[in-house]
Amino acid sequence: MPDHTKSDIDATAPEVPETKGTGEGTTVAGPSRTEREFTVAERSQAQLVIRRFLQHRLAVGSLIVLLAVVLLAFVGGALWKYNVADITPDESQPPSWEHPFGTDAVGHDSFAQVLRGTQISLGVAVLVALIATFVGTIWGAVAGFYRGWLDTVLMRIADLVLTLPLLAVAAVLGDVAGGSWWLIAFIIGGLYWAYVSRVARGVVLSLREKEFIEASKALGASDLRIIFKHLVPNALGSVIVNATILVAIAILIETALSYLGFGVRPPDTSLGLLVSDNQTAVSTRPWLFYFPGLFIIIIALTINFIGDGLRDAFDPQQKKVRA
Amino acid sequence: MLTSKSRVVRSAALIAGAALALSACGGGGGDGEGQTGQIFADCDTNPNECNSVPADQLQDGGEVTFAMEKNIENWNITSAEGNVLDSAMAIKTVLPYTFYTKPDLSVAMNEDLLESAEMVSEDPQVIEYKIKQDAAWSDGTPISAEDFIYNWKVQNGTDCPDCAPASTAGYDQVKSVEGSDNGKTVTVTFTKPFTDWQKMWGSGEPMYPAHIAAEHGDINTPKGLASSYEWLGKNVPDYSGNAFKIDKWENNVALTLVPNENYWGDKPNLGRVVFRVITDAAQEPTALQNGEVNVIYPQPQVDLVNQIKNIPNVSSHIGLGLTWEHFDFNLDNKFLAEEPLRDALFTAVDRQGLIDKTVGQFTDKVKPLNSHNFVPQQDGYQDVVSEFGHGTGDVEAAKKILTDAGYTLKGDQLVDPDGTAIPAMRIRYTTGNQIRKDQCELFAQAARELGVKVNVQPTDDLGGTLVEGDYDIMVFAWVMSPFPYSGGIQLWHSESESNFGGYKNAQVDKLLTEAASETDKQTANQKLNEANRIMAEDAYVLPLYQKPTFIAAYDNIGNIRNNSTLDTPTYNIAQWGLRAE
Amino acid sequence: MLAYALRRLLISVPILIASTFIVFIGGALTANPLNQLQARNPPPPPRVLELERQRLNLDEPLLERYWNWLIGLFQGDFGPSVHSNLDLGSEVIARFGVTFRLIFLAMLIALILAIIVGVISAVKQYTKLDYTFTFFGFLFLAMPSFWFAILLKEAGISFNNAVGEQVLYTIGDSSVYVAGGAWAEFTDVLGHMVLPTISLALLSFAAWSRFQRASMLEVLNSDYVRLARAKGLRRGKVMRKHALRTALIPLTTVTALDLGAIISGAVVTENVYQWRGAGSFLLESIRNDDVYAIQAWLLISATFIILFNLVADLLYGVLDPRIRYA
Repeated sequence: MPDHTKSDIDATAPEVPETKGTGEGTTVAGPSRTEREFTVAERSQAQLVIRRFLQHRLAVGSLIVLLAVVLLAFVGGALWKYNVADITPDESQPPSWEHPFGTDAVGHDSFAQVLRGTQISLGVAVLVALIATFVGTIWGAVAGFYRGWLDTVLMRIADLVLTLPLLAVAAVLGDVAGGSWWLIAFIIGGLYWAYVSRVARGVVLSLREKEFIEASKALGASDLRIIFKHLVPNALGSVIVNATILVAIAILIETALSYLGFGVRPPDTSLGLLVSDNQTAVSTRPWLFYFPGLFIIIIALTINFIGDGLRDAFDPQQKKVRA
Repeated sequence: MLTSKSRVVRSAALIAGAALALSACGGGGGDGEGQTGQIFADCDTNPNECNSVPADQLQDGGEVTFAMEKNIENWNITSAEGNVLDSAMAIKTVLPYTFYTKPDLSVAMNEDLLESAEMVSEDPQVIEYKIKQDAAWSDGTPISAEDFIYNWKVQNGTDCPDCAPASTAGYDQVKSVEGSDNGKTVTVTFTKPFTDWQKMWGSGEPMYPAHIAAEHGDINTPKGLASSYEWLGKNVPDYSGNAFKIDKWENNVALTLVPNENYWGDKPNLGRVVFRVITDAAQEPTALQNGEVNVIYPQPQVDLVNQIKNIPNVSSHIGLGLTWEHFDFNLDNKFLAEEPLRDALFTAVDRQGLIDKTVGQFTDKVKPLNSHNFVPQQDGYQDVVSEFGHGTGDVEAAKKILTDAGYTLKGDQLVDPDGTAIPAMRIRYTTGNQIRKDQCELFAQAARELGVKVNVQPTDDLGGTLVEGDYDIMVFAWVMSPFPYSGGIQLWHSESESNFGGYKNAQVDKLLTEAASETDKQTANQKLNEANRIMAEDAYVLPLYQKPTFIAAYDNIGNIRNNSTLDTPTYNIAQWGLRAE
Repeated sequence: MLAYALRRLLISVPILIASTFIVFIGGALTANPLNQLQARNPPPPPRVLELERQRLNLDEPLLERYWNWLIGLFQGDFGPSVHSNLDLGSEVIARFGVTFRLIFLAMLIALILAIIVGVISAVKQYTKLDYTFTFFGFLFLAMPSFWFAILLKEAGISFNNAVGEQVLYTIGDSSVYVAGGAWAEFTDVLGHMVLPTISLALLSFAAWSRFQRASMLEVLNSDYVRLARAKGLRRGKVMRKHALRTALIPLTTVTALDLGAIISGAVVTENVYQWRGAGSFLLESIRNDDVYAIQAWLLISATFIILFNLVADLLYGVLDPRIRYA
């Protein structure tokens, strides 16, 4: 039954185990085909992925919640009557209609603070994901595609970065860099690409042995063409899934860095900075401790669920078990 | 630390107490019900005597654990590296010293060590110390003039250029130190008078044993002095010249003191004092609550203070000490070199409002400070700030100062008389210090009203930032010494390295120098205040308030009390004891 | 296999040195090791600062300083710390000793729990149990570690109050004095370990249990397991002999790779529970601008991790006969 749907499913990226580092995972057969068919299939593949994603109720729900948070942070933050820098006469007030999340000692409105923190934390996280994904994918793809000594050198470097305790190194660098949010993002992203490169390499390694790549080679396609026309699109699924999860990880790393005092610094703020500034307030002014923490959990949790949904959508293989 | 048995008893009492509180008033927390949390109740009125318990009402022995916020990295607290408050707090309990500061900030002679210490001549200044006959180091060697001489030589900067002391103040003005009467009488002659002579060999720079130092270098040569001085820094003292001695040191974990059995004076009540290293103040309340430490002495912060108020059977006290916060201008900034702008900015700062929004959140004791050299508890204190209207938050007055001086407002941007817009400035503070961050924001808010944009920027290198002058406005703290005259020179003299903002006024220099080499305290105070008044008028530094200190201890510890000076609560550690049940 | 191990170690050395170079230059250019002294009140005499500058080699050109450090390293000298009494080499190793005690137990617990939960989750896929495990797994993954640690501490104190006895401790790895012999000492150490170990273990547990679930599912889906079942082998036997064993192999690599992340986690945990391990050493060094100390820390931790990874890789080869090291 050589029908379309079958080949579409097979054309999705091979499944890559979720945790970083198990590069050479499983493989799935992918048939070769001509260029024209590929473009056609590409569109329907995207549709298929979306359809499968939409069936994942938890992921869809998470997506809605996440979008609501993002909207609240960026639109709500702009509309809200208090600005982050505003100093109100209400000092250390518990939550009320006037200040939904209460206020701190000087009289900052915590709601405005949390929204601003959410903006920055999300900014850091997305930037980290972009940097790490971009660098890591190219790094891993080149290593996996060319093999040989280049692969060895590239992957040894990645291994080394991978083996460094990320948080500790980021703390050293963060201390040096001095705390503006995009610098922090560059530091975390600059350390995290190695994880992505491992995954990307694994995907490319398994793909490059496929018949359709060999066929392209035989037809005289250039390396660049093969990488960008065949390898990258096919690896896209796992790259997207990984990038999504990276966003969640980056938020937590930024939080830990801020706790240690080497993350985002005033006048910028972030959710991590807010929680760590108020770590002593757990029992005395709980609103200062719990609200930013809750936002971190909501964001990280929803993104993880979305990542899970995406994985299932890109790779429907692992749906049911008959063991 | 308490024994595990009493811990159980206490916990049981605690639960019973909690149950009672619940049934009585629906859980009011620790609002001072019954007798708990009250041992420091009269410390405000009677700072030197509060929480006194006669020795016969104390247990014989017992253990107290005190939280220490830094690891001890160097055992020589007179050296630049070892001069750390947390280390000094613990180490001076095993060393002899001449004078110390009481909780009411008065200076007192150490009567355990000295019979007397008197100025026998004013010109030249000569001080005569009489050491008690039976005062001796734990190995039996008498404490004598030799110890005074050794500690003078290593700290005067000339006999031992490589010794690296924390400060040479005073010692560098000494001509000779001589012993007589078997070394039990010490005569110190100064080249020029030193007003603060009581600080020398005092609790801030106690004496190390000369006879032990001599085993580690020839103390008659600069090289030998340096090597012995270094040896004292490297090695945990196994000697003692005070009521306690060091029993055990676990690096990074804890220092344990036990009574010095060869001590000539009264034996301490406690059998053991443990200084436990807890480097993060945020972890101290839980450790106290869980009974892992019995006394903490952290920088107060609103949550910390309130958290501790809710712990049953724990008392706490907020004191006002010698550390004071201030805004500093950097006069190298050419706009800030203009007096009217400084004047206006300081006038626009509302100090009372700033206190209300920061330290005022947990105490109402803190008031604006109006002197750069004295705190109100000291004799010399005189208000030299109020008359210039600084720190009142009177924005209109501030605007008038600017208008009178020819400044104009263009929109919401201030323009100086030459027509140049005042550029944005940076106010800096130590990273992670929440209270200072808030102070900076409040300063920025006040400046904005005058049309000056001020950006808040933290620094994690306070020392370097100050030395390099990498700031326009800085908020930090100085420790006021009970001996303010040499301090005045250090901070405000135009030649001084730690006059970071570059303030220069010849008349102030002259007055400061005179004040520091005066044998009469009244005259010295007068001159220092006169210098201070000129400086206040020049609007260089705005004193904000005396930083509060905070002690919290279990109710069963007697005789412990806050001492906000550098002497810290351990000043009377030998009297501490556990109340008999 | 030995050749493979050697080659991997050899290739790590130049990269390791290169990264110390970057860290050193970055640190030396921006850090001010005299900070603590300069901020003292009263300020130390200028002569003191000069002596300190000499002691810390701050007068030497940057490259020369690095070169001397590197040369010293081969003689076992890690360079001068801002604390003149500190021998960096022995200090870092001692501090890592403390940290590894924490890490080892946390990893062990996390691993055991992760395998159990992962396998159950996979076998009972899409049951209530699976959903519960999944939910908590994701929740732990989403929780900032110190946030959780602070709450856990509060819970620990409530527990002590509830049982009316000091069972759990919040500060350090043991009490300074324990009365009552070896058993009391043992329970004391145990009481100090519980909270930090849980804090540290939960994070890895969450990630690993998810991973274990995925790899178990993959194996259960494989043809040979289905064949084994089809042959009529008993379910339990298939699970143990075929499925579980295979599904465990990928976890070795992940565990090894995560060592870095766990050391990072330990930095946070040590701060909350005031353990004086390598994490607190690093934090102090950064705060003191102690460039040589930071170098020593990074070097030693990287070496540990590289060795650990190598062992895991070799182990992988033992467990999975398909892998050959060329």
